[in-house]
Amino acid sequence: MRRAIIGIILLLALSLLTFVLFFSSGVDVTRFACGKNCTPEKRATTEKALGYDKPTVVQWTDFLQGVVVGRDYPDDPELQRESPEIVTHCPAPCFGFSQVNAKTVNSLIAEAAPVSISLAMVAVFLWVLFGVLFGLIAAVRKGTWIDRGIVGATLVVYAFPTFFIGIFLLKYVAIKWQLLPFPQYVTIADGGVGEWFVNLLLPATTLALFYLAGYVRITRAFVLESLSEDYIRTATAKGLAPRKVLFKHALRAALTPLVTMIGLDLASLLGGAIITETVFSYHGLGALALRANVSYDLPVLIGLLLLAGAFVILANIVVDVLYAYIDPRVRLD
Amino acid sequence: MAKMRKRMVALSAVAAMTAAVLAACGGGSDNPPSGGSTGDGEASAKGGTLQYLQHFPFESTDPQRIYYGVELANFRRTLYRSLVAFPFDNDPDVANTPVPDLATDTGTSTEGGKVWSFTLKDGIKWEDGSDITCEDFKYGASRAFADDVLTGGAGFYIKGYLDIPADPKGGSMYKGPYRGDGQELFDKAVTCDGKTITYNFNKPWPDFPLSVASLMATDPYKESIDKGDRSKWVVMSNGPYKVDGGTWDVNKGATFVRNENYDPATDSPDLLRQANPDQINYELYTAPEPILDRLVADAGDDKNAVTAARIPPAYFSQIEGPVADRTATVESPYTNYLVPNQKTLTDPKVRQALAIATNVDGYIKAEGGEKAGVPAESIINPGLPGYTEQEMFSGSNEGDPDAAKALLEEAGVDLPYPIKYTYGQSETQDKTAAILKEGWEKAGFQVTLDPLADTYYDVINQPDKDSDVVWAGWGADWPSAMTVLPPLFDSRQNFATDANGNVTNLGQDYGYYQSDEFESLVDQAATAPDIDTQNDLLTQADTVLANDVAYIPLDTSTFYWLYGSGITNFMTDAASSSYPDLGPIGVTQ
Repeated sequence: MRRAIIGIILLLALSLLTFVLFFSSGVDVTRFACGKNCTPEKRATTEKALGYDKPTVVQWTDFLQGVVVGRDYPDDPELQRESPEIVTHCPAPCFGFSQVNAKTVNSLIAEAAPVSISLAMVAVFLWVLFGVLFGLIAAVRKGTWIDRGIVGATLVVYAFPTFFIGIFLLKYVAIKWQLLPFPQYVTIADGGVGEWFVNLLLPATTLALFYLAGYVRITRAFVLESLSEDYIRTATAKGLAPRKVLFKHALRAALTPLVTMIGLDLASLLGGAIITETVFSYHGLGALALRANVSYDLPVLIGLLLLAGAFVILANIVVDVLYAYIDPRVRLD
Repeated sequence: MAKMRKRMVALSAVAAMTAAVLAACGGGSDNPPSGGSTGDGEASAKGGTLQYLQHFPFESTDPQRIYYGVELANFRRTLYRSLVAFPFDNDPDVANTPVPDLATDTGTSTEGGKVWSFTLKDGIKWEDGSDITCEDFKYGASRAFADDVLTGGAGFYIKGYLDIPADPKGGSMYKGPYRGDGQELFDKAVTCDGKTITYNFNKPWPDFPLSVASLMATDPYKESIDKGDRSKWVVMSNGPYKVDGGTWDVNKGATFVRNENYDPATDSPDLLRQANPDQINYELYTAPEPILDRLVADAGDDKNAVTAARIPPAYFSQIEGPVADRTATVESPYTNYLVPNQKTLTDPKVRQALAIATNVDGYIKAEGGEKAGVPAESIINPGLPGYTEQEMFSGSNEGDPDAAKALLEEAGVDLPYPIKYTYGQSETQDKTAAILKEGWEKAGFQVTLDPLADTYYDVINQPDKDSDVVWAGWGADWPSAMTVLPPLFDSRQNFATDANGNVTNLGQDYGYYQSDEFESLVDQAATAPDIDTQNDLLTQADTVLANDVAYIPLDTSTFYWLYGSGITNFMTDAASSSYPDLGPIGVTQ
């Protein structure tokens, strides 16, 4: 409960900070919606339409009110009375209305989240599977060319920026060699699990390759440390099969740091993988954030920041709970 | 400015108005034989699916909120018809002359261009099968006044011209259809008599049909589907296609399918819309690279693809052999220019020296060469009526440092003369700035480069900025220099002032330019009885600007296109703002 309250306070501070930074950037944020031939009169009308004519604190409290009780857009009682057909009701918790997209932020997040979640899940699956596997192999084959090859190769891949790997996979694997279809997000409902997965393979691999090296090294290091422990020697001396020693005892020691990493990495990915989504034209939360940033779409920026912040706070709580399950010595307060 | 690609057509003649005929030529005139068109507008085979690959999102699909040139051009051919439209044709004289579309003719003007009337054709329908009525046109125009709900678009033109009194508190006395205040004033300004709609303006608007064909502010809109901002992505078509599902996805695009309620007998298919593909798949990407990679590979469905993404210099090396056969190079309607700050460079000789020392050839080379731009001799695009090669800028495009230095010495200023050049930062702009700096410094200037990112336009429109010269770009909204010179150099429509009359913002008049002579010519042009007179006055106004070195022209941007091998009748013309024209295009099946 204490953590939840702290989390809410953090999110409130985050939202206020975003409002303040947004309007103190030196950029005339109204200009983007006003467009070309932005006369002083047109600019003033546009500013009012966007609600940017109000003091920052008033805008922030209006936002908070929307989160608690919901809001109606346009936020003009006279317009709401004269033309109810143009009013969009945004029920609580309302994160705002994007004039750029002409949709509530809630609906934009609802549309983009499945893309980012799918991408994150497949990427996590790939990097955990291969990261742990290669880490184990490297640990077991310590000092051999296999160990050095795995660690070296993953580090080389890690050294490449994500956009390079993404563009390479897209340009060669999908377009030039046509080994996989040009990736376009397909929902499971539309294309089934197979098509959904195949279309996610290249962007997820791009992300997985970036994260892989860390997991290989963590797994390798903790398994090696465990293998030199007395209890492992005891288990081996008792005649336990080497595979059982490795998976049941040695690997378990690496689980705690791995779960911590997975939790935090997954949380940051759920907030959107901006570069990967941009390279592959996947319209997830990352691409939404980028567009909001370019078009100075404050409501979307606020909504996404709060969502990303909430993911990180939630992930920390979940990781703590999992600790207790993985390691009985750990208990929650 | 580059993001705000505006509709601009090179020149035009409006046959029905005041017997005035525009006579200039347009952007597509310099197309190489293999470039502008793979045919000559002849009909392609019907059927198949066209892939349209795009690398940026549109601003809206509500006709009254559209302002991007490529969107105006594409949707005019597919979804939204209007009273008049520009035909597709390689001849810019033809492509810039409106022809009747939903109206029976190109309009009738009276009272010296202050009143315009159009009569609607019979049998014209919306995609839901209902008739397009005069009231739909009237309602569409009324939405321009609801700019407190419908942001963006180009409705400010019709809003400024319609004969409706100004509100002393600001804006118009008519507050748009959602509030209803002043509705009776609008009903007097725009009237319907059966199928005839009449627009009453507060001043002559001789080129009104050009604006109708170019923009969509006066397009019809069906009141019963209007939900204000909620209709931003709704499409109610009256063209040969409709959007499958009725709503455009801002991130993904849409699928255009045949509109069964479109009757080609009410249209001019051979002039405006051959509508050859059975389907158009509009796909949106977040960057141009994957699109160009696919077009270079030319595999599968991509053989029937066109794009709004121009070939960037990084891809030039891949454009060879059979790939080069699928390209087109065409002059665009967009002009890049420099703006000297009149408040800091007060001596005309110093501004002249700056102009003479400007290395335009080097600038273009740094941009990517002839596939990126060609030298400009005026702020008015060569395709516009009123264009003339200004003597001030007709010298060597490489710059003449010696002549410039002589002018600086003649001005009696201390050398090196310090100046600050402000520009919007990008990889290309950094290169062009370095070239400009080199040329200017040879002439005796000492240049400080001032690259700015997001704050660029917020800085250069400040009256107290310390920049001596800034970069800008522009394209006309319709084939008239009235949409170029006043928006960029008329201080009265650009400057914002505080209660004490102090200028607080320069608008788009970045150089703080104010000239009574120029503004007098603009006033005369605005009320000119015919287009020929208007264009003559605008040419004179441009000469005043040139002599004052209110601007220094750099180049006319070049568009370099790549398309799939299955595309037939690929054409870029003045009517499409030099983007691929969807009017005649077809695909192989």
